[in-house]
Amino acid sequence: MKNRFSLFSFALKNIRRKAVRSTMLASAIMLLTASIVFAVSFITRVHSGISLMTSRLGADIMVVPTGSRGAAEEVLLENKVKSFYMDGSVLDRVRNIEGVEEVTAQTYLVTLSALCCSVPESIVVAFDQKSDFIVRPWLTEKLGRPLKKGEAIVGHESAFNITVGLVEIDSMLFGNVFRMVGVLDKTGTGLDNAIFISDENITDILRSGTAGIKPGQVSIAFVKVRKGYDPKLVANAVENNILEADAVMRKDIGKRIIQTLRDVSGIFTAAVVLAALLSGFLAWTVFSAVANERAREVGIMRAIGARESDVVRLFLWEVFLIGIAGSVLGIIGGTALSVMLARSFILLKDLAGDLGIAVRALIAVAGLIGGVAVCVIGALSPLRRIKKLEPLGAMKEA
Amino acid sequence: MALLVLDNIAKVYEAVGETIRAVGGVSLAVEKGEFISIVGHSGSGKTTLLSIIGGLCRPTSGSILYNDSDIGALDSDGLAKYRAERIGFMFQFASLLPVLTAKENLMLPLLFQGARDRSAKGDGEQKAEELLRRVGLADKINAYPAQLSGGQQRRVAIARAFMNDPEIILADEPTGDLDEQTEEDMMRFFQAMNREQGVTFIMVTHNRDLASRASRQFSMTHGAHEELARA
Repeated sequence: MKNRFSLFSFALKNIRRKAVRSTMLASAIMLLTASIVFAVSFITRVHSGISLMTSRLGADIMVVPTGSRGAAEEVLLENKVKSFYMDGSVLDRVRNIEGVEEVTAQTYLVTLSALCCSVPESIVVAFDQKSDFIVRPWLTEKLGRPLKKGEAIVGHESAFNITVGLVEIDSMLFGNVFRMVGVLDKTGTGLDNAIFISDENITDILRSGTAGIKPGQVSIAFVKVRKGYDPKLVANAVENNILEADAVMRKDIGKRIIQTLRDVSGIFTAAVVLAALLSGFLAWTVFSAVANERAREVGIMRAIGARESDVVRLFLWEVFLIGIAGSVLGIIGGTALSVMLARSFILLKDLAGDLGIAVRALIAVAGLIGGVAVCVIGALSPLRRIKKLEPLGAMKEA
Repeated sequence: MALLVLDNIAKVYEAVGETIRAVGGVSLAVEKGEFISIVGHSGSGKTTLLSIIGGLCRPTSGSILYNDSDIGALDSDGLAKYRAERIGFMFQFASLLPVLTAKENLMLPLLFQGARDRSAKGDGEQKAEELLRRVGLADKINAYPAQLSGGQQRRVAIARAFMNDPEIILADEPTGDLDEQTEEDMMRFFQAMNREQGVTFIMVTHNRDLASRASRQFSMTHGAHEELARA
């Protein structure tokens, strides 16, 4: 194919002329963009994981045993296997608090012992089907009916471990055989790793003595607040009236993680700012050198008819090409890094949910804009100098 | 009506502790199609005068009218347009851009004109190849300046000056690096372009033989000019 001579091809040739220098600048932009993409992906992923989880749960307040808030969040957010219990009488006391509309309880049983269960370590969630408003929507969607006694349905992520799928299988849970009747859709919560049973089974489980739970105990109560009531006041009332329980508002779920995230974000911000300053400085250095080396060429171009804007456009092409090349590589690197580290980064590994393609595309655009902008800003001062070169002076200067 | 009218043009430089009068009170009317030569020693103001006529620098005093339009009144973009459309420069130094091939160097003025007016000139590839052929470099079309001798580079620069179909060629020692035969070939090429296409030439040279082949001859001494001969 015939190569058409244009400002673009001219700029490309100029970039190739100093390949090592251009590569160094593109590499700096690549590192900057990679750090932007990784940092934004990381922070967005954590935020979206928490917000997805809280919206899926559909409760305004979560009531847990005093001191178990962290454990509850670990179960709901981070797929951790934990158990914590409070007396079931708490439920009625919560129902009596003004502003409470609905209350439902879940009991978390841990399948730790190989003697008790035939499934890998996971959480078994026993829930009250009459009062439940958490699991019901998921169950209706998938099974179309309530669970019967002796039946279980598994969370999306557990399906692989338990090998439930197209066929129903029987598994031993706490000395009782349960028929696994299906797999729930992905909810984006930590409960995707759980196995759900009706709380009618609790008496049989207690009889086996393998669940480590006392009669009448529950793990967590989810509360819906009446319209017009402030969830914060209701949560305060729960804590004031029930000393053995903590109340966590929906917006405060994941606060511990958010706090950790804030510290991590600070480190990320510092790293990105530092990378931006270094890249900007490198762009300034490279294009200052270019301005000095090519002053005579600029003079010649001006003498044969180039306007100031033509010269600026040529150099801007160079800046953009280096910036875009570095940014695209940075986007690829940053995204790959965020996907790879998500597997080993505790905060991400245990958090439910992932970023969608649209969000990743937006982050990529932000990275591209950030990388190119830093390159352009760094090159602005030398470009202004190039633009102002007088043709005759520039030709004599060199 | 004269194509170019220089009225009492002066150019003064302020150097450290002294004032240098590079051009002092040059008045000259150039008709379309004239071939003017200017001789003079180094530092006599010849190159500065060409730069002023070409809009590369502004005179300290005096005015230049091109087709009755005052060049001094043009802003930076106006001067660039004037150079792009009316002027062809031949510099006394190597003036090719090293990253571009001979043909691309020729196409550069059209690239800038094209940026200004997309319908102006097309891509000019054929024209570039034809001009390179006319200066004897048909086999060097895709060669880079580093692959050309000094004389070949000079001939590429000569060809480039004609790419934009200029009305005026400002040639500063255009045959300086050339051997005798090539110098003669280039001079014939200039005369042909002058005669066939009516291109006006203002040529600075040290070579009095070449100067004598112009239709008008001037000499410059300490910024002042004197008409030596008119054909």
